[in-house]
Amino acid sequence: MAIDLNFNEEQQLICNTAKEFFAKRCPPELARKYENSTEDFPRELWKEIADLGWLGMTFPVEYDGLGCSFLDTYGIYVEAGRSLAPVPLLEAIGIGAALVARMGSADQKQALLPAIAAGDKLVTLAIMEPDGSYGANGVTLTAVKQGDGFVLDGTKLLVACAGTADRLIVAARTGGAGEDGVTLFLVDPKAAGVSIERTKNIGGYPLYAVTLAKVAVSAADVLGAVGKAWPATEAVMMQAAVLQSAMVVGAGERVLEIAVGYAKERVQFGQPIGRHQAVQYLCTDVAIALRNTSLLTLHAAWKIDSGQPFLREAALAKASASKASAKMTFAAHEVHAGIGFMIDYDLQLYTMRGKHWEYNLGDARHHYEIAVAQAAA
Amino acid sequence: MVDFCPDDTPELKAWRLEVREFLHEAWPSKRIFDYDYDEDPAGWEEYKAFWRAVGKKGWVALTWPKEYYGQARSTVEKWILDEEFIAYGAPTYPVIGLAVAAAVLRHGTHEQRLRHLKGIAEATTLWGEGYTEPSAGSDLASLTTRAHRDGDHWVLNGQKTLGTAAHQCDWMFVLARSDPNSVKHNGISAFLVPLDTPGIQMLPLENIGDGQQNQTFFENARIPADCLVGDEGQAWNQIWFGIGGEQLDNAFAAQDTHLMRMVRMLADTISYCKETKRGGAPLTEDPVIRVQLGELMVGVEALRLAALDGYSKAATSGKGGRGALESNLNAAFYKEFWPHYAQVAMEIVGPLAQIQGGKWAQLNGRFEKYFRTSFGNHAGGTSQLKRMVAATRGLGLPR
Ligand SMILES: Cc1cc2nc3c(=O)[nH]c(=O)nc-3n(C[C@H](O)[C@H](O)[C@H](O)COP(=O)(O)OP(=O)(O)OC[C@H]3O[C@@H](n4cnc5c(N)ncnc54)[C@H](O)[C@@H]3O)c2cc1C
Repeated sequence: MAIDLNFNEEQQLICNTAKEFFAKRCPPELARKYENSTEDFPRELWKEIADLGWLGMTFPVEYDGLGCSFLDTYGIYVEAGRSLAPVPLLEAIGIGAALVARMGSADQKQALLPAIAAGDKLVTLAIMEPDGSYGANGVTLTAVKQGDGFVLDGTKLLVACAGTADRLIVAARTGGAGEDGVTLFLVDPKAAGVSIERTKNIGGYPLYAVTLAKVAVSAADVLGAVGKAWPATEAVMMQAAVLQSAMVVGAGERVLEIAVGYAKERVQFGQPIGRHQAVQYLCTDVAIALRNTSLLTLHAAWKIDSGQPFLREAALAKASASKASAKMTFAAHEVHAGIGFMIDYDLQLYTMRGKHWEYNLGDARHHYEIAVAQAAA
Repeated sequence: MVDFCPDDTPELKAWRLEVREFLHEAWPSKRIFDYDYDEDPAGWEEYKAFWRAVGKKGWVALTWPKEYYGQARSTVEKWILDEEFIAYGAPTYPVIGLAVAAAVLRHGTHEQRLRHLKGIAEATTLWGEGYTEPSAGSDLASLTTRAHRDGDHWVLNGQKTLGTAAHQCDWMFVLARSDPNSVKHNGISAFLVPLDTPGIQMLPLENIGDGQQNQTFFENARIPADCLVGDEGQAWNQIWFGIGGEQLDNAFAAQDTHLMRMVRMLADTISYCKETKRGGAPLTEDPVIRVQLGELMVGVEALRLAALDGYSKAATSGKGGRGALESNLNAAFYKEFWPHYAQVAMEIVGPLAQIQGGKWAQLNGRFEKYFRTSFGNHAGGTSQLKRMVAATRGLGLPR
């Protein structure tokens, strides 16, 4: 299969529409407004996105989806990144709904996917624990069999939108070690024994600490096979990591635009600072990091889209995106010096969110390890 | 390098203990408070009281001449004092006051010294710095704030920006163009400006490190003629290039604020890694983290030695410490290393480093705050400019 990193006509159209939509509906002020706010995200905007058909795009047609491919949605994530849209596209669609679509029973899919596509329901993943590890080993929250169901105990951190989610997909350990023995449960965050607390964070995202104390979950709410959830969970998370990388690309394009714009405008020593090679190096540092990440991410997306093995490519893409996020931030701040340090200047919005993206779904180190494991296999 | 082996006499050992004991009494809360990155009013009160207590001891002015509220103590003793402050985690002195003290000691009149050094030594007067203007940052010499003489007053007109904590300050050290026909470095004078002068207004600029810079507007602000410090029109050579900027490693040795904070941060990063387990083992046993920590240790130690070198050179010369090459190399390195340090530390801590407060914040959220503040590394000039000065003035490359 020939590598084709270009979008087809329809995909290009989606990119353009998404760019226009987010530019119009998600100015930087909206991102500012929802920073560490009491509301998880703007519900009407979410509805609008649902009406555009973007939420259920990749869902099967029988669950009110459009049956679109991975690459078809790629541009939407790029634009959500560029505009810092304060909506949980990645968390609720790229991860939550994708897990349900991939692992759910017909009943579970029927109960959730059409409502998610319509923007009425929300499902997000609860996986990270207080020890801060990525990967299967990090899953230690216990799920003990009791009668027909299970009892869950433990703490999850950095859980997106727990305040509005209808169900959390809680990754728990039903036994075994490592990849063996991981089970996913659909848990109502309002169920007895579940307590949630929004944690203020650098990106200002609706991220919660979720504590489960003897929470009873019925067998019907197990998502996928008991003890065997890891491979599918990892596959979905790696796909989502590619979407996260696409968001970094979109944001990076905007950061580059801001930095280059400023370098052309700002005059010191009688000339635009962009004429100094020191500043040209900084701007091209942003551009190089962006270029590499963009190539690696598109390649990974194309692998996924064409049904080929993609773990290696996705790992390289996210590793690059995580590193790029930090590099672009540093170089863009250097270009701006004093003004970039001010809250009122929009660059910092990217700095803070970029930090979350760097970690989200695995940092560079985690993905280097995956890539090397693939290469050494 | 002078042999700085501070504890080699019983007197110095006793001095170290004296400082240590004082700190336990004067800053019992051990609260982390960085005046330029904290707007909490209660914290400010506690902080000011702490430094007034240090001032009462005479330790702000430890190395200054006795006739100007100083104790004329040795640079070695000053170094020991600073080391103890770092080790204890005490907050640093508002650095601008120390730069002003250095300028006034060198270029001020006897009256000016008597008048201004007291408040700095006792930490009762806080100083802001009014150098930067909206269109004069790196190119400071293009500043356009005007000072014109009117009888026994100077009248200031113009705008300063990015003045750190100026809203907390009583006075501002202002650079203005006193010769309207001058260009560039000539014709700039330095003024000691009381901020309650009519015609001065401030607007806040909140920064991403929880602190505040300010825009300061001067509209026919009349200040007495004796507010001019140094020779009229000579501020560039006397004040800015000679002492100001970041060249604080001179005989009146200011605290090296950034270094002190970074040394403290390294100590805290290492204890965090010792105490925190991931996958069942302390982070200090993780081979990747060991490499990361090692790199941070090298950078911080180099900076610590650079400061020590400055102190020891000052001790021998009795004047400024490091030369243009050395101090600009250190500054450029520091300015790039700070964000790097913060980045690597956040990589070590991992995803929970994002959390800013509450039970799940790591080290009370200090890693992420350090990361945010690290983009304030341009205070006192950018690394690009420091490199440029090091390359031309230091290495002799063509300009
Ligand atoms: C936290 C903080 C606190 C501060 N506190 C004070 C204060 O109390 N009082 C005060 O007066 N000022 C203060 N400043 C201002 C500080 O001195 C300036 O930010 C600094 O001098 C750089 O100026 P600038 O921000 O205008 O950047 P610019 O000068 O506009 O620089 C923008 C970019 O251009 C580059 N550049 C400019 N000229 C050249 C050149 N010739 N060659 C190569 N590259 C070049 C710079 O390196 C930078 O990358 C503070 C700044 C910060 C960030």
